[in-house]
Amino acid sequence: MISTSSIPGARFVDPRVLARIGNLELVARSVVDGLINGLHRTNVFGASVDFAEHRGYVPGDDIRRVDWRLFARTDRFYIKEYEADSNANFSVLMDVSKSMGFGSAGVTKLEYAKMLAGCLTYLVHRQRDRVGLVAFDDEIVEHVPPSAKHMETVLHVLDRLQPSKPGNLTVPLHKMAEHFGRKGMLVLISDLYEEPDAIVEALGPLRFRGNDLIVFHVLDRAELEFDFAEASAFEDLESGEQIPIVPYALRDEYRALVREHIEAISERCKAARIDYTLIDTSAPLDHALYKYLSVREKLMKAR
Amino acid sequence: MSFLTPLFLVGLAGLAIPVIIHLIQKERKNVVAFPSLMFLRKIPYQSVERRRIRNWPLLLLRLAALALIVMAFARPFLRREALAVAAAGGAREVVILLDRSYSLGYGDRWERARAAARDTVNGLGGADRGTVVLFDTGAEVALRSAADRGRLTAAIETAQVGAAATKYGPALKLAGSIISESGLPNKEVVLISDFQRRAWLGAEGVRLPDGTKVTPVSVTDGAVANVSITPAVLQRTTVSDQERVTVTAGAVNRGPAAVTVPVSLEVDGRVIQTKPLTLGPNGSASLSFEPFAPAAAFTRGSVRLADDRLARDNVFHFVVSPPQRVKVLIVERPGTSRAASLYLSQALGLGDSPAFDVTMKPMERLSAADISGAAVIVLNDVPVAQVTAERLAAFVTAGGGLFAAFGERATWPAAVDVMPAIPGGTADRTKGTPGRVGALEYGHPIFESFRAPRSGDFSSARFYTYRTVSVAPEAQVLARFDDGAPALLERRAGAGRVLAWTSTLDVTWNDLALKPVFLPFIHRIGATLASYTQRPASMTVGDVLAAASPAASSPASAGAASARQALVVIGPGGQRIEVDPTTRVVELRDQGFYELRAGDRDPAPVTLASNVDLTESDMTPIDPHEVAAGATGLAGGAAPAGSNTTVTNEERERSQRVWWYLLFAGLLLLTGETLLANSLKTKYL
Repeated sequence: MISTSSIPGARFVDPRVLARIGNLELVARSVVDGLINGLHRTNVFGASVDFAEHRGYVPGDDIRRVDWRLFARTDRFYIKEYEADSNANFSVLMDVSKSMGFGSAGVTKLEYAKMLAGCLTYLVHRQRDRVGLVAFDDEIVEHVPPSAKHMETVLHVLDRLQPSKPGNLTVPLHKMAEHFGRKGMLVLISDLYEEPDAIVEALGPLRFRGNDLIVFHVLDRAELEFDFAEASAFEDLESGEQIPIVPYALRDEYRALVREHIEAISERCKAARIDYTLIDTSAPLDHALYKYLSVREKLMKAR
Repeated sequence: MSFLTPLFLVGLAGLAIPVIIHLIQKERKNVVAFPSLMFLRKIPYQSVERRRIRNWPLLLLRLAALALIVMAFARPFLRREALAVAAAGGAREVVILLDRSYSLGYGDRWERARAAARDTVNGLGGADRGTVVLFDTGAEVALRSAADRGRLTAAIETAQVGAAATKYGPALKLAGSIISESGLPNKEVVLISDFQRRAWLGAEGVRLPDGTKVTPVSVTDGAVANVSITPAVLQRTTVSDQERVTVTAGAVNRGPAAVTVPVSLEVDGRVIQTKPLTLGPNGSASLSFEPFAPAAAFTRGSVRLADDRLARDNVFHFVVSPPQRVKVLIVERPGTSRAASLYLSQALGLGDSPAFDVTMKPMERLSAADISGAAVIVLNDVPVAQVTAERLAAFVTAGGGLFAAFGERATWPAAVDVMPAIPGGTADRTKGTPGRVGALEYGHPIFESFRAPRSGDFSSARFYTYRTVSVAPEAQVLARFDDGAPALLERRAGAGRVLAWTSTLDVTWNDLALKPVFLPFIHRIGATLASYTQRPASMTVGDVLAAASPAASSPASAGAASARQALVVIGPGGQRIEVDPTTRVVELRDQGFYELRAGDRDPAPVTLASNVDLTESDMTPIDPHEVAAGATGLAGGAAPAGSNTTVTNEERERSQRVWWYLLFAGLLLLTGETLLANSLKTKYL
């Protein structure tokens, strides 16, 4: 059971420092190991010996998994199946649209998202779940199917991702829903520059197929605070459109709109039973992970 | 104040830069990449807020600083003449030449010319003196060297546009004489005119005194479009003893657009015909009116165009004067055949310019009345008695013309000393080569028209016999035969003149009467003896009319007794014009009809038409500085070097020092701007 008290050993590493490491596996390991070490008091995490059911032996099954006791009683071969053995699929849905290339404090949203995805992948892989990755902008850019052996592939693909095109959630997510035939856990990492209704509508097909959906809404500090000083022409990274802006004149209204947007997404996700987490890229990465895991734990308890 | 490098003033356009910075560039200078403008687009666009200039003092500071720096680079300096005037102590002799030619009536040029003259007068200093000269073809001093601005202004105000054309020569000469007589140190001529190209024929021998500054003031407005009439041509014909006059009139369009103007023919003040006339761009055209019959002795006619910006050149006046006929009396020997005077009378009968009324009388029936009634008397090979000769001498002395042809019977009493030659023996050229006329006095009016090549060949006539003569000392030999013997002689006697022809006027002694030159020769003799000059249908404003000229002589007074009548002239406006009794000349100053009377009770006064000089209607301008340069001999009419006002190097340098102050002030303002801008930036951030 996860305690909500302070976490001994958790390292709230500055994402700018992590970004300089460069190797995602190393980043993931350094973050996740530290986090798990801090969580060592729990024994619940990764329950993998729960008996699920017996099923008849079929040629090809590992004979080590034959329940010999039952064979002795019934003279039939049965295989014991455990809950933990049925490994879950875990996929990261990574938004690599051009807007994700923005960063005001040394690390871009995409770099932060890569580290987050890498950490989650590493974390899940340690639980022996299958890991996969889908990167998309307005279409699917990269697709690594979930597999227990794809940990390194996922990290390698993550490392190569670059923002190149304007983004769109609906088309690629609807297409993904067709691929994820087996239900699993899907983590969407995006800056979610869409209307809240459109976001939830885009996630709908994935949710309807029984996947557990977790949404990481990655935003830069500048996007949240809009603390620009000089009057400037603001250029949309995706469309190239420019608007002359006097920031101090618009700051309050902007903040209100962003706040309203975040609240709207949060509410709609909650209504759709989707986990939603807002992540500020200026905050340490393991802090974000911890926040996520805390939420997951609450949800697991609720189930 | 002028600028050494005025091109830098273009930099004043840079004043817009701070405004642009305020309004546009300030927002555009930094481009901030932002993930999405989704939320910014939702905020109502505060365009007014963005474009409003928030800091007027800052903007004004920037503008002022920029303007001052640009002005400094343009290098302002004080005008040399202003310096020179200051250096010379001021006193000026200013001659204002105010053009009053009729072209100043074009649009509002006259008002602008007077305004320019008034401005010049108002610009006179306390020690300055001014002269107002009104000029057209001539020049007239309206007020000479006066310091009283009120009187000078009054002289300008009372000036009127005249009817004459422009000529700069007389005006500049008059200005030169006024200036040369002035004792003031600075001399200036202000030439106010519309500067027509036709009015300037080069320097015209004008050279203003050294040190004179000529300031041309042009009152043209760039418009040159004008339609003017051209002189009408009168063709006089006689149909059934009724004289008819056909008027051909034309017009010139000096504009870029084609126009159609109505052309009216007025006779004695009444419009009798109107026809449209289409004129192409910068073109001319003419038309002929239907013939009309003149009713009076002097019928007044006018051809008139519709009014345009210049009214005076739209009318042409003419007078259909009564035909002038010269009465010629041919005196023959009694019992002579008709052939003796046949060629002579036939030749005279053909003339129409002038027309001759020929009368023939035998010598024995010649009366005193016959003599006095003739303008020219021809003695065609007749012996003249003493008494008759004395009468003829008196006739000649009174202004009559006498032409004597010496055939074999001609005699003249030597006691009556008017004849240029007394006939003697005969020269027989029937044997050998016939005589020919070898030398002619082409400068004489009789032979002047034969001067040009192929204008009449006297040498083709053969003379077989002619009289030798003893030439009077006062006589002039006008033609000689090839052996040197006189053929034609002239002698003036009193107001008249006598011609003697030493051969016959028929074909007995020569064949001149059969040659083509005979007819014009006889006509020229008749016209010369009658002192005939064709009366012009019209004259031009500025022409001088002599009382004794044929144009001014009335038919009633024509002839021997015209002499010295008291001349009365009535101008176009009905005003009586005084005639100088000594010179007895009248200058035509106005456009219209002049009436000349020989005394107050002249029953048949002469009417003259006076028209403006139509070349003045050409508005093509000349560069005013060309006139100024021509008058001073220097480009632009500037005062020449070595004039009595000298500007020192120090003064010249001082006059250009302004830019330092401007630059310093500009930099000072920029410093202030920087401080203000920094404080404002801190405040806003």
